[in-house]
This record gives sequence, C-alpha cells and structure tokens, in this order.
Amino acid sequence: MVDPSDRQDLVLQTIGLRKHFGGVLAVNGVNLSVPPGDLRAIIGPNGAGKTTLFNLLTGDLARDSGRIYFAGAEVSGLSPDRLCRQGMGRTFQITSIFRRLTALENVQTAFLSHHRRHYDILTPARRLYRDDAFALLERVGLHEQARKPSGNLPHGDQRRLELAIALAGCPRLLLLDEPTAGMAPRERHEIMALVARIAGDTGLTVVFTEHDMDVVFAVARGITVLHQGAVLTEGSPDAVRGNPDVQRVYLGQPAGR
Amino acid sequence: MTSSARALVVLAVALALAPLALPPFFLQLLTEIAIVGLFATAFNLLMGFGGMVSFGHAAYFALGAYAAALLVKRAGIPMLLALPAAPLVAAVGALLFGVFIVRLTHTYFAMLSLAFAQIVFTIIFKWKSLTGGDDGLLDVWPPAALKSPAAYYYFTLATVALSLVALHAVSESPFGYALKSVRENPRRARFIGINVRRLQLCAFVISGAFSGLAGGLFAFYNGSIFPDFAYFTKSFEPLVVALLGGAQSFFGPVAGAFAFKILEWLISRQWPVYWPLFLGTIVVLVIVALPQGFVGLAGGRTWWTRVTGKT
Repeated sequence: MVDPSDRQDLVLQTIGLRKHFGGVLAVNGVNLSVPPGDLRAIIGPNGAGKTTLFNLLTGDLARDSGRIYFAGAEVSGLSPDRLCRQGMGRTFQITSIFRRLTALENVQTAFLSHHRRHYDILTPARRLYRDDAFALLERVGLHEQARKPSGNLPHGDQRRLELAIALAGCPRLLLLDEPTAGMAPRERHEIMALVARIAGDTGLTVVFTEHDMDVVFAVARGITVLHQGAVLTEGSPDAVRGNPDVQRVYLGQPAGR
Repeated sequence: MTSSARALVVLAVALALAPLALPPFFLQLLTEIAIVGLFATAFNLLMGFGGMVSFGHAAYFALGAYAAALLVKRAGIPMLLALPAAPLVAAVGALLFGVFIVRLTHTYFAMLSLAFAQIVFTIIFKWKSLTGGDDGLLDVWPPAALKSPAAYYYFTLATVALSLVALHAVSESPFGYALKSVRENPRRARFIGINVRRLQLCAFVISGAFSGLAGGLFAFYNGSIFPDFAYFTKSFEPLVVALLGGAQSFFGPVAGAFAFKILEWLISRQWPVYWPLFLGTIVVLVIVALPQGFVGLAGGRTWWTRVTGKT
C-alpha cells in the first residue's frame, strides 16, 4: 500500500476507496493518483462506477472504506461545502445551476461565497464581484447572455455557465462529471478545448469523466480506465489505447478510429 | 426601478397624510394592514427567497406578542422597552426550533414547523398562571401618548417601514443572493461552499424575529392577546397574504396585506360568516390566473396572457 506521506506532491489521491449499494459493489477498492496540472479522463463502460467515484470524491456520498487525500491532507468524510472551501470545484452530470437567477447572478453568488461574504446582510450585492463575474462569463463565452435567466439558456450555454460557477471558486482541482453530456459533437470539442485552455493557463488540475472517446483522446493527458468498480489500468492516452485489456473490456475494437 | 421607486414615494406620502383625511376606523384598518404586511414579508423571506414553506409562523408572532405583553403586565416594564423583547424572544424561539426544522425539507419542514407551533400554542394555553390561558391577557395598552388610533398608526407605520427597509436590505445582500441560490439548488449551493443548513437557520431566525415584532405591535394595537395567536389558523395568514400579493416579489406580501384586509373588511361587512368562503375562492382564482399574485398585475398583463394565451 502506498504511504500517502510520500506523495505530498499529488493533488488527489485515493487509497482503497470502496462503496456498495445493497449487494452491488459500485466502487471496489479504487486507488487513484492525480499529479498537479494533470488533465485526467476517467473512462469506463456504463456502470463502471465513474459517477459513484465522483460523488465519493466530492463528499456527496459517504464512502464505506478507504481514504481520500486532497493536496496532501486527508479529506475523507468532509462535507461538500468544506471540500469546496479547500479548493475542489465540480460540475454535475445533470446540469446544476441556479435556474431562476441570471447567468451573472449565478457567477456572482459563487464569487460571494468564495470570498466568504455570504453572511453579509448589509451590503447591496448587485455590484459586488460584478466585473469578476463578467470577466469569467466572457472567458466561457457567455458575456452576451449575462442578464438572461439562466434556466432559459440553451443546454450548451448552461453547461458553460456551470463551468464558470465552478471556476469562480478558484479551485485547485476541477472535477467534471460528463461535461459534454447532451451536447452536439462540435460543441463537445469546443468546451473541452476551453477546459484544456483554462487548465493550461492557470495550472488547474482537471479530472473528468467522458463517454466520447474522440473527446477523451483529443484532450486528456492521462487516462484511468474503470471496470466493475476497480481501476483496470492507468496511463498516457497512447498506453491506454494500446492496452489489450482495455480494448477487450471497454472499447471492443482498437481505439482512435 | 424608478417607476416602482416613485410608486413607493407616493404610497409613503399618502400613508403619512392618511390621518388627516381618514376616520379612526380606517386608521385602525391601515395599522392592521401594516402589521400583517410585516408578518407576511418576514414569512416570505423564507418562502419566496429561501424556498422554505413554514406552517408554523404563528409561533413566532405569538412569542413576540406574549413576550412584550408579559413584560408590561407582569414586570411593569414600559411598552417602548418591552417591545424590543418581542423580536428577541421570537428569534430565540426560531433558533431553538429552527435547528431541528431546517434539517428537513419540503413537506417535512412544513409539518415540523407546524408541530413546534402547536407546542407553543399548548404551552400558552395551559400555563394559566403566567399567560392567562384561554382568557388571554387583557388591558395591554401602549402609553397614553400612543393610545389614539392616529398616534399608534404612526408608530406602527414607522416601525414597519424601518423593518421593511431592513428586510429589503437583507434580500438584496450577499446573504439574500446565497439564500436564493439555496432555494434554486441546494446541491449546487453546497458546492459553491455554502453550509446550506446554517444559512437556512440564519434566514429562519431573521424571519422569526420580524414575525415576533409584528406580534408585539399587534398586542398593543389589539389591547389584549390570546392563545389563538399561536394557533395553526394564524400560521396560514402570512401564507395566504404572500400568495395573494405575490411570493416572488419582495413587496408582494405588503400588496397582499392590503388586498387581504380590505377584502376582509368589505366582505365581512356584508356577509359576516362567509368571509372564509370568499377567501378560499379568491385564493384559488389567484393561484390559477395570477401565479405571481396581485403584483403580477403591475408588471404587465399576466392574467390576460395566461387566460387567453396571447401576448
């Protein structure tokens, strides 16, 4: 077993992470190590445990056993809001935004919380962090939609907005659960290129799950393959592509058509 | 914003000049409207802004009324010093009960808030030596200077206006933004770093405090207080008032208070026993045709577009 104290350099590490639902072992002893600056794809067939793993990492689900280390400190069992404060950002598989607030207010609220102003009952909030929020919306290509109720935006724009909400917390680690779900192929490449650009600019570490192998092999620097709740293999895109086990259980055919 | 600001100024001037033109009866009606408006606005901080529907806000109204009245009657403290105890005691009650209530959501939240309110009702009802039980507390009057309908009207108007300014500031503050984010999506709110329960508890305490202030104001307006201030029928008053006026808007509950009290007066003058029947009908009509409440009328032709489907 890995001694976590030797791996202070890792942004995210899990040791023997386990979670079952009734008789189903959804996540069965996952060991994951993500170094800083990685752009890590977690792939696997449906039911491989990707989303469960995500929800364990983000504190949305309680683990049965195992440990989670974030930036060198153990964070197993911390609540989502505490993890977020420690620098973990996330998006959800099903778009999760504040639908009756405008896009601008969505991002402003995230900034207000990040700067610990959310118990301030005296200052008018309308102008607070407005410029920051606009700049971030511009970054994800939504500045023209800023004043619209976010629930009325097209699906792709809502996903961009959720990315902006997560980025407003200035995370060290960004966890994206199927960020391109429900998007057209061109849009998928656009948004993942955007994520890769932001990660490159800021040194942000990104872990994402994804079904579209074109997208995965286009942007990922490292790939972890999950199969039946356990890590099948882990490595560079080329190594994963050439791995016969991966081809057998997951791809069904040589990858990178 | 400018047109609504202008409307507010006109309303403020009209209310300030009302005692010059109106007989005492109408000043009393306006006093009641102001108190109900404050109660419903405090309630709606939870429902409209926080997405938490309480079925037990009568508890905090009654705690405020009894706290202020008991200090005057049993401890001989002057009314102006006793009144601040109303929001304080109600806030303490809201904190104690809220700790448990905000752990639940939706129907369970509503039912537990109702249960705590019934506990408050029962304590007031049974603790005869302190509260007078079913007989209530009589002769709870303000000092001579505030006793006339016009004087108490001005006092209430000023207190309510200041409270509404404070509640409006809360709703527009970072806290208000965070509260709306929790209403919209608690799971997402947690993952922008918000401790959802703690934020909800703060909103619950603020809402309870201003409900208590409304109760305190009502005690000295009414001159007597009774256990049914805490009864569940009283808890539905702010809910109905906020729905009538429009729960999505900050000023909806105040508009609802005008509508509620004026309709109550008009209808129970003609047909005293049928007011609940009319009220029920009006609430159904408003929910079907005017989901944004009466303030929706000011924002355009909502009812028309909804009924006809035309824009």
